[in-house]
Amino acid sequence: MTALLEIRDLHASIGDKPILKGINLTINAGEVHAIMGPNGSGKSTMSYVLAGRDGYEVTGGDILMNGESMLEMEPDERSRAGMFLAFQYPVELPGVGGMSFLRAAVNARRKDAGEDEVDQLAFVKMVREKAKMLGVSDEMLKRAVNVGFSGGEKKRYEILQMALLEPTMAVLDETDSGLDVDALRIVSEGVNVLRDPARSMLVITHYQRLLNHIVPDFVHILADGRIRKSGGKELALEVEESGYAGIDDAA
Amino acid sequence: MPGSMMLPDLGAMPPLDGTRGDAAARWRQAGWPGPRVESWRFTKLDALTKMDLVPAANAAGEASETGVAEAASMGAHLIRFDNGLVDAACLAALPAGVTARDLADDEAAMSALADIAPQNHPVSDLSMAVMTSGLVLDVDGVVDTPLMLLFEGAGDDASTHPVVYVRLAAAARLQLAELHASTVALAAPLIGYDIGEGARLEQVKLQRESTTTTHLASTGVRLAEKASIAGFSLSVGGTLARLETHVTMAGEFADCQLSAIYMGRGSQHQDVTTYMDHAVPNCTSNQIIRGVLDDTARGVYQGKVHVAPDAQKTDGQQMARALLLSRKAEVDAKPELEIYADDVICAHGATVGELDATQLFYLTSRGIPEDIARAMLVEAFLVDTIEAIENETLAGLLRPVAESWLTAGGA
Ligand SMILES: Nc1ncnc2c1ncn2[C@@H]1O[C@H](COP(=O)(O)OP(=O)(O)OP(=O)(O)O)[C@@H](O)[C@H]1O
Ligand SMILES: [Mg+2]
Repeated sequence: MTALLEIRDLHASIGDKPILKGINLTINAGEVHAIMGPNGSGKSTMSYVLAGRDGYEVTGGDILMNGESMLEMEPDERSRAGMFLAFQYPVELPGVGGMSFLRAAVNARRKDAGEDEVDQLAFVKMVREKAKMLGVSDEMLKRAVNVGFSGGEKKRYEILQMALLEPTMAVLDETDSGLDVDALRIVSEGVNVLRDPARSMLVITHYQRLLNHIVPDFVHILADGRIRKSGGKELALEVEESGYAGIDDAA
Repeated sequence: MPGSMMLPDLGAMPPLDGTRGDAAARWRQAGWPGPRVESWRFTKLDALTKMDLVPAANAAGEASETGVAEAASMGAHLIRFDNGLVDAACLAALPAGVTARDLADDEAAMSALADIAPQNHPVSDLSMAVMTSGLVLDVDGVVDTPLMLLFEGAGDDASTHPVVYVRLAAAARLQLAELHASTVALAAPLIGYDIGEGARLEQVKLQRESTTTTHLASTGVRLAEKASIAGFSLSVGGTLARLETHVTMAGEFADCQLSAIYMGRGSQHQDVTTYMDHAVPNCTSNQIIRGVLDDTARGVYQGKVHVAPDAQKTDGQQMARALLLSRKAEVDAKPELEIYADDVICAHGATVGELDATQLFYLTSRGIPEDIARAMLVEAFLVDTIEAIENETLAGLLRPVAESWLTAGGA
């Protein structure tokens, strides 16, 4: 079986600075992997490289989705091919109405798939339903994208986008940061609803807490641009108790 | 005067006296702005001055369907100028409260218009002298039907010089749209809005000339006590366009809201120049200018706010922002405050930026193709200015033009 996502000896730099130094990771369809690791270890960098952000130069290795290299694909093409990144710091878009943003994203996918554009009214209804489940208010939906949203609201809005775009490979970068206890539960439920044998997730987090809700199949520790240790969900508990000390020895 | 400059032939015209005679004399004296004239430093008329311009003497033809349809969709009364000549049929059955007369027969009106027009302005003087057609529109009371002044015409070497003096009596109210859509060589309209005590004008201007036309518009505004204007210009056409507006706050508690969007692509040159004269105390003025430039287009914003020594309690704001979509696009911005009173609130600013790469990445990471993502961000840059137009009827004329600009060239 071809892996849904395969990262092979991935090296990447920002400017002249090497950040990712040989990442190997295979994610099969339906699996949830968690990535933990110290600040600055390269977790967000990896998520941006997966999404194809400009300025993040891949200097070696490959990223394969369903066996096909994604390196030559633009961010929008990767997205329409099923990649989704929930940003650690969602971007404010003053002047861009939330609804027209969501509709543009959904329509871009549909157009690629040779489908008609969404029906306006049906779309609004669908967005409202999914938003309600995630605790995103109608009032927030009317605002410009992420503008004036609290930290926690921005994270919910990321998951709302994921729910609408139905990606096959979702990368969630610290979706738990900034969420209060109730919001964490609501957002996790929103994510769990989307767990599917055909959909994989890569959950980046600092805290075991999130992994109580979104229970991973595998946990990896990233440090200094490399995966230093991999294990089951109990590895997250280990980190919670004793930190990252001693991780390097395990590499 | 350099011999290489071709001047529209004024010699062929009957001798002028009075205000127009003075304007003709000033034009003969000064001619096209020379290389060292400060106010024309960023906008050069070299290509135009080499042309053998002939002031249009005949109408070019039928009204275009788009202009007529746009007037109809606004429910506006259409006054059409063809090659700078007013279509007399449009002056019959004017909306109640509006009367028209010939400006050429009215030296008092001509002189009043000359007072409020841009001063020492060669093109304004030229148009006053040549005046392919001169029209006074007197407005009394509240006029519900909007007026649309439609300027069309054709001719590779034709210049058009329509002159319109719109005079609002005390407490009058008028909605007016100017639509400039010709294919002449030079369109040089001179328009005056003289707004009486407590009167209000809501005005939009759409400059959508052909990309071979040079559009040099002179607009003068005078506001009497408690008078107000809400004006908005959208300039997208022309090979070179300059929208120059001089506003005189002549009575206290007058309010002037003047905004503009200019959009250029290819090798277009878009200039918005304003002069806001706070001559008396207690007036407010606010200018919001947005420019979007692609390819090798150039933009110019020159805005001067002048506050006279006794114009205390003036509130004068101007904010110009430009967005460059290409490395080769350029903008020159020159906001100026000239304040001689001490108790005023004045602020100005000009910024130039590019599309934000992080915002663009966020949009494309959601599967939105880059050209659409860029258009969305340009629209976002403009949206608050267009939304600020309170008059929905007038705003409706501009919105589709801005949208089609965004989707046309792949911003
Ligand atoms: N634009 C940039 N230019 C230079 N260095 C950068 C840039 N962005 C990130 N880095 C560096 O790359 C390294 C990895 O950063 P990254 O954001 O991937 O870490 P992280 O693991 O996500 O950290 P955190 O847990 O704090 O979110 C850091 O040393 C960071 O300073
Ligand atoms: Mg990070």
